[in-house]
Amino acid sequence: MTTAQTTKPLLQVAKISHSFGGLHVLRGVDFGVSAGSITGLIGPNGAGKSTLFNIISGFLTPQHGSVQFDGRDITRDPVQTRARAGLVRTFQTPKVFAKLSVRENLMLGCYRHLSSGVGGNMLRSRRSRLEIEQMQAQAAETGERFGLGDVMERPAGQVPAGRQRIVELARGCVTAPRLLMLDEPSSGLNTTEIEQLRELLRQLNSEGITIVLVSHDMRLVDVASRVHVLCFGSIIASGAMEQIKRDERVREAYLGI
Amino acid sequence: MSPVRHAIVWGLAFALWAALPFAATRHVVDLLVFAGLYTIAGLGVAFLLGQCGIVSLAQSVFYGIGAYCAAWFCVQKGLPSPVGMAAGIVLSTSIAALVGWPILRLSGYFLALATLALGIIGQVLFLEWDGITGGTLGIGGIPRIAPFGFAFDTPLRFYFLVWPIALLLLALHHNLLHSRNGLALRAMRDSPEAAAVLGVDIHRLKVQMFVLSAALGSLAGGLFAHYVTFVSVDSFAIDRSISFLLLAVLGGVYTVWGPALGALFITILPQWLSRLGDIHAFVFAAALIAAVILLPEGFGGAIRNWWRARAAK
Repeated sequence: MTTAQTTKPLLQVAKISHSFGGLHVLRGVDFGVSAGSITGLIGPNGAGKSTLFNIISGFLTPQHGSVQFDGRDITRDPVQTRARAGLVRTFQTPKVFAKLSVRENLMLGCYRHLSSGVGGNMLRSRRSRLEIEQMQAQAAETGERFGLGDVMERPAGQVPAGRQRIVELARGCVTAPRLLMLDEPSSGLNTTEIEQLRELLRQLNSEGITIVLVSHDMRLVDVASRVHVLCFGSIIASGAMEQIKRDERVREAYLGI
Repeated sequence: MSPVRHAIVWGLAFALWAALPFAATRHVVDLLVFAGLYTIAGLGVAFLLGQCGIVSLAQSVFYGIGAYCAAWFCVQKGLPSPVGMAAGIVLSTSIAALVGWPILRLSGYFLALATLALGIIGQVLFLEWDGITGGTLGIGGIPRIAPFGFAFDTPLRFYFLVWPIALLLLALHHNLLHSRNGLALRAMRDSPEAAAVLGVDIHRLKVQMFVLSAALGSLAGGLFAHYVTFVSVDSFAIDRSISFLLLAVLGGVYTVWGPALGALFITILPQWLSRLGDIHAFVFAAALIAAVILLPEGFGGAIRNWWRARAAK
């Protein structure tokens, strides 16, 4: 890692506050994600994890504070602009394109890198045709890698729920994201599958994808090099998992002592 | 299906299409011409509904703008027909972009109501701006389309103008549906949030589709004006928008060529049933209800599903 990368984090969240009506969901949250890391975000239910995720990905504009991605202020950018810059997320309840085949779902991962227009598409321009070939090649390769080869032609909505999560993750990977944000990626998976997911996240990370992970599941969060604990809208502890586990306030928040 | 059989099926379809107007009476060919015009305008409505989930009741406005531009530029200014039609398309698409940008932030019923409002405003303006539109008296004496001295002045000749255009547009939309942006359209219909996360600018794409739909409406209107040679406000009332929406739903909005079937249904069937006398309106209404209940995906969807089931065997 170069010095520039260590001093300038890929994602910097600064003094984010947000409330719904009188309910303060986030109170001045600060944290950075350095490029090439896996960062975990944990916390009890209602801690504000989802709100924070929505603010970072652009589904919600914070009332106070800012979000910087790669040194640029993106606080008010719409979702698709962030996605085009390489900030890609998954959802707690997987959102696949139900009527599209798994193959088509994966093909769409390429969207942000392509540029053909509606007119060119209608006339089947050379670029339009090349793009489809490129999308198909990417989809086939990623489908194989994520073990989706047998369901590629099935409508994604008809694939079992656990595998829809894999489809969503695979689609996120086709985008070749710079930052991949995963919202509870292990829910609904069994122990073996969680083990496979851990391995996969390590692999993706080693390929240069920075990962932010929201999870309840300690078996998965272990994979993170740095963990932030969110509780009642504030970060109460940050550090390596081992360190976090010993933290008095974390034990209190989680165990209620 | 083998390539040979494929070629035979397409060849037969083409032969049928080409022979049909020679076998039919002048009146039926006239209806087939209208079916072609409605296919073009209805395709725009169907594509919006099926691929973007947008219910548009504004198509009559763009149909009217196309027709009035064709009439005004040719009759008042003496300009050739392509100029009038092009002007109609430019004006329609500009209005669609200007109005579409704000209203396409809405969705569902609210959006449908906004397009309905647009349709009603158009209807009122067509009536009130009688200096341009001729109001209830309309504009007559619109010249035929006559490239290189060959006038499309009979139903038979116009049939061979309007249907190739309609089929070409269906093919272009087919291409669009199987491209990068077509995939994005189908994706955002299933999950707009997930599409945005992949970098799809949903609002922009919707506006583009609305503009495209307006262009189709306007083109159909321009052709209509040159075919009937007379336009008046009655042809561009809100019930025309409802016809376009109806043919889209009947034909099936999930298949590109569904609108052609829907257009044939709503133009041919009422005329054919009219021989039954006064009861024909009831019979047509019953046929409509039956079609919507029994074929929720329209004729196009039913045929496609049947074809797929057959292929799966």
